[in-house]
Amino acid sequence: MSDSILSVSNLVGGYGKMTILNGTTFSVPKATITTIIGPNGAGKSTVFKAIFGLLKLREGKITFADRDVTNLSQRALLNAGICYVPQGRNIFAELSVRHNIELGGVAAEKGIDLPKRIEAALDLFPALRRKSTQQASTLSGGEQKQLEIARSLLLDPQLVLIDEPSIGLSPLMVQQTFNILRDLRDRGVTILMIEQNARSALEISDFGIVLELGQTRMVDKAERILNDPRIGQLFLGGAMEETAA
Amino acid sequence: MSTLFDLLVAGLATGAIYALVAVGFTLLWQTSQTINFAQGEFVMLPAFLMLAAMHVGAPFWLAIIIGILLSMILLGLAFKMLLVDPMLRHGVLPLAIATMALAIGIKEAVKQFFSAEASPFPSIVPTGDIRILGHAVALQSVGVLVVAILAVVGLTMLLTRTSLGHQMQAAAQNPTVARIIGVPVERMILLTFLINAFLVALASMLITPIYLAKFSSGEVLGQAAFIAAIVGGFNQVRGAIAGGLLIGVLDNLAAAYVSTQYRAAVPMIFLIVVILFRPQGLLGRAEERTV
Repeated sequence: MSDSILSVSNLVGGYGKMTILNGTTFSVPKATITTIIGPNGAGKSTVFKAIFGLLKLREGKITFADRDVTNLSQRALLNAGICYVPQGRNIFAELSVRHNIELGGVAAEKGIDLPKRIEAALDLFPALRRKSTQQASTLSGGEQKQLEIARSLLLDPQLVLIDEPSIGLSPLMVQQTFNILRDLRDRGVTILMIEQNARSALEISDFGIVLELGQTRMVDKAERILNDPRIGQLFLGGAMEETAA
Repeated sequence: MSTLFDLLVAGLATGAIYALVAVGFTLLWQTSQTINFAQGEFVMLPAFLMLAAMHVGAPFWLAIIIGILLSMILLGLAFKMLLVDPMLRHGVLPLAIATMALAIGIKEAVKQFFSAEASPFPSIVPTGDIRILGHAVALQSVGVLVVAILAVVGLTMLLTRTSLGHQMQAAAQNPTVARIIGVPVERMILLTFLINAFLVALASMLITPIYLAKFSSGEVLGQAAFIAAIVGGFNQVRGAIAGGLLIGVLDNLAAAYVSTQYRAAVPMIFLIVVILFRPQGLLGRAEERTV
C-alpha cells in the first residue's frame, strides 16, 4: 500500500508481564476505511491504545504522516491529527450535548475558529443540534456515539481510530453510523476501525486487517477478506494456521 | 429566648460555612477519590496561620491573604503531592486512613506550636445588629452568609459556565475519556485541591470568630461537613450546599428546641435516616463508578 498515512511496525507491548502485541505490523492507506478484525484477545483494542499513546510499548515504531509519533502525549497526537473514539459510552453524562462537543476542542491550538467548527459538527448531526441543550445522558445509544464522533471532529482530524462503534446499537443506528464514517472518508479522512460485527464493517471498508495473537495475519482489500473461507473459520475459534505461535 | 427567625438565620449562617467545607470535600472525592477525613482540621488550621501572620505584625487583611495563600500551598499543593498522590496508588481506603493520620498530626502540631487554649479571632464583620423584616439580626450572621453565598455562586459559575469548569467536570466524570480528548486531567485535579484549600481557608476565616481558634475545633467541623456531604449527595456540589445549609439549621434548631446536650446527636440521627431511606443522598445520584 503506497500512499499510507499511518504505519505501525513491529509493535511489542501489553499489560504488566502479559504480552498482547507481538510484532504487530501494518499500514493504513490514506482516505480509506480500514477495518481490523480478529478474535477476542487478538490485541485489536491494544493496538489502538498503543497508537494513541495509552500503552507503553516495549518495541516498535508508529509513523503518522511521515512523522514518528511513538509514545507522544494525547494532546500532541490530537494536534498531529489523530483522534480516538474508544469502545463503549464515552460521553460526559452530566454536561449538555453542546458542552460535550465543545470539550473536543480543548486541545486546539490558538487561531482555530472553534465556534465555527462546533456549528459545522452540529450541522453534520441534526439530532444533536435539536438536543444540544439537553444533558448528554438523555441521548439514545446511537446519538451518544454520534456525539463522540462529533466531538472528535472538532480538531479536524486526518485519522479517526474508532473502536467497536456498532456495539449496543440497533441495526438502523449501525447503518447510520457507518454512513457517517463513509461520508468522512469521502471528505478525505482516514478511518481505522475495529469491529466485532466483521461482515457489515468489511462491507463498507476499503481494506481489512486480520489480527491474531497480536500479529498481523492478513492485510488485503476488504472484499477479498470477506470472501476468504479461512476468515469464517477464524471467527469460529480456529486458528488461521494450525501452527500459529 | 431567640425567636425562630433568629435561629434560622444563625443556622443558615453556620450552614453556609458547613456548605463551603462540604463542597470542597465532595470536589476532592469526585476528582481524585480522596475521602478527606482531615477536612475539619483543614478548617481549623488556616485561622492559626492567620493568627501567626498577625503575631509577626501583619494587619488583619494581610493576615487573611497570607493565611489563604499558605493554606493553598500546604493544604492544596503539598497535601496532594506528598500524601494523596503517593497513597492513592495503594487504593482509596489506605488514602482515607492516611488522611485520618494527617488530622491527628495537624491537631497535635497546632497544640504543640500554638496553644492548647482557645484564642479569640477577629471578625471581618463588625459586631452589632441589622434589622431585617422587623427582626434584629447579628451582622456577623449576615456577613458570613453573604461571603459564603458569593463563594458558592462563584464556584458554581466556574464549574458550569466556563470551559475550565467543564474540563474539571469532565476530568471528574470520566478521566480516561477526558485525557483522550486532550483535557489536562492532572492539572484539573490539582486545581480542585487548590479550590478546596481556598474554601476551607475561607470557612476558617468565617467560623473562627464564632467558635474561637482551638486545636480541637476541627473535629466538630469535619463531622458536620462529612454529614452534610453525605446527606446532600456525596457526588453533587449542589447536594453538598443543600446538605450544609440543612445541617446548620437543624443543628441550631436542635440546640434551642431539643437540648444543647443532644445538639450534636440530631444531625447524626438525620444522617442515619437519610442513609436508610435514600443512600445516594437527598440530591445525589446512585454511584455509577465502579472503583
